[in-house]
Amino acid sequence: MSRGNSTQKRIANVMRKEWKVIFSDLNSSLFVSVLPFVIMIQAVVILYLVSRFAGPAALQNTILREGMEAWLQTFPEIAQLSAAEQFQVFFVGQIPYYFLLIPAMTAVSFATFSIVEEKQTKTLEPLLATPVRTWELLLGKSLAGLLPSLILTWIVTGCFLVVITALGWGNLIQYVVNRQWIISLVILVPLVSLLAFMLGVIGSSRSSDPKGAQNLAVIIVLPVVAIIIMQLVGAAVLVTSTLLFLCGGAAILDIVLLKAAVGLFQRESIVIRWR
Amino acid sequence: MAAIETQNLTRTFGNLTAVENLTMQVEQGEVLGFLGPNGAGKTTTVRMLSGIISPTAGRATVAGLEITESVEEIHERIGLLTETPGFYDRLSARENLLYFGRFYAIDAEEQVDTYLKRFGLWERQTDKVGTFSKGMKQRLALARTLLHEPDILFLDEPTAGLDPKSAKEVRDLIMDLKRMGRTVFLCTHNLEEAELLCDRIAVFQARLIALDTPENLRSSLFRREVVVELESLDDTIVMAVRNLDFVGTVRKDETSLTLELRDFDKNRPALVRAIVEKSGNIKSVYEKKHSLEDVYLALTREEEQP
Repeated sequence: MSRGNSTQKRIANVMRKEWKVIFSDLNSSLFVSVLPFVIMIQAVVILYLVSRFAGPAALQNTILREGMEAWLQTFPEIAQLSAAEQFQVFFVGQIPYYFLLIPAMTAVSFATFSIVEEKQTKTLEPLLATPVRTWELLLGKSLAGLLPSLILTWIVTGCFLVVITALGWGNLIQYVVNRQWIISLVILVPLVSLLAFMLGVIGSSRSSDPKGAQNLAVIIVLPVVAIIIMQLVGAAVLVTSTLLFLCGGAAILDIVLLKAAVGLFQRESIVIRWR
Repeated sequence: MAAIETQNLTRTFGNLTAVENLTMQVEQGEVLGFLGPNGAGKTTTVRMLSGIISPTAGRATVAGLEITESVEEIHERIGLLTETPGFYDRLSARENLLYFGRFYAIDAEEQVDTYLKRFGLWERQTDKVGTFSKGMKQRLALARTLLHEPDILFLDEPTAGLDPKSAKEVRDLIMDLKRMGRTVFLCTHNLEEAELLCDRIAVFQARLIALDTPENLRSSLFRREVVVELESLDDTIVMAVRNLDFVGTVRKDETSLTLELRDFDKNRPALVRAIVEKSGNIKSVYEKKHSLEDVYLALTREEEQP
């Protein structure tokens, strides 16, 4: 009689398989690996166009004026910069939140590709007849989705800083890579990844194709966009305390969704209710 | 200790009772055929016994382990061949087997090599499973089921959709497993296959209708009958056999008689003598053999009648 392998080995086995499956499909691997860089290039292009063609004087007469004023009150150290540089810092300051779209979208994609693939190929039942526990399976899948989304976000952030330095805005980095950006990268990005992954699992449990599953999961994009808009129009500026508060909220939401996903990801539910 | 034992095992889905009070034992090394029409609850039974879903009532042990308490231990001891093979089409045959094999404490590489060779898939091991025929996928699924050398196997329609050659290979494999002392719980619609492979047959339709050896099931349902084929048949012969006191019902068609006999072996020569005395030219005399299909249809027909 065989004895089951260790939990660690089983989780590692699930992760290895997930990566093999997702990266053996050109569409899904391109989506996961190229999308973060598309988001970064989009950010650079927007920054460049705003600086090159709109300019601070033009923008002062838009809805962004109040946002800029709130920004200056919150971060008085940028008052010493020129008006053009202030606007550049203002826009670059939104990037950490804009980059939350990367873990959100990649984790959702991983979750939906992974689970819908299992449903389409009918592999879940034979899998559930092995000694792997359902929580090990879910954790393996989660880690397989979270790790690349975290690493990609950090890589893209690094690339972004290199690019803006190359564009001649290197002197602004000291104003934008602040405590908020670090908190966002280290705490908020993993929390958003987990949130997105669990939404992907929940969406996948009721859907038979990845697109259908992603319909539910993309609601994660809405709060991210809301944060950026609120900051741009001056409705709120995320200082350290509010950002930590936001992280706390995200953590609570993570726990709630994790419980919901674990509840759905039971042998019985998978075999009987998942279609 | 029985390999599988159930006591009043029951599973409902809302108002539907899929499995009702199933009580039975499967001995170690036995091949049990689990027969029933579509939707009879066979797959639900297998899912309960393999610890994938829980019973609503009753209990069961597999390899001496309670199905509701020792799910992971049971999974180490059983092999489950699901009705649909289920593989990652974009991974190779080898990658698929390694993935499943690595959940067990076995030398996965070595076992995968062994079973790829045994099932004739060695040459195709690096090909993506999406390119495989149904027969190849079924062989691969059997390899996956056996990778960890389980004591008890649940095989759900193992030859469904296979060409005759592949189906024979699978049946030969089941015979090998039987010789090796493995316990096999075989869900099948193929009655010939069940007759060929199974020590006992369970006829099931939400509840257990009958459980016995094929021979005992036959004798419990049908009296022994003899068929006499003649060159020609006239009424004097029919009258003569009807007057014999050991003959029960008599059915005739153009040139043959089918008769129920008391003391079958003792009275058969006397029957033959009586026909010959009436100038009957006998071409052959043989016992009518009821197929397992007759047994199955009789049992399920009885079940369907109010």
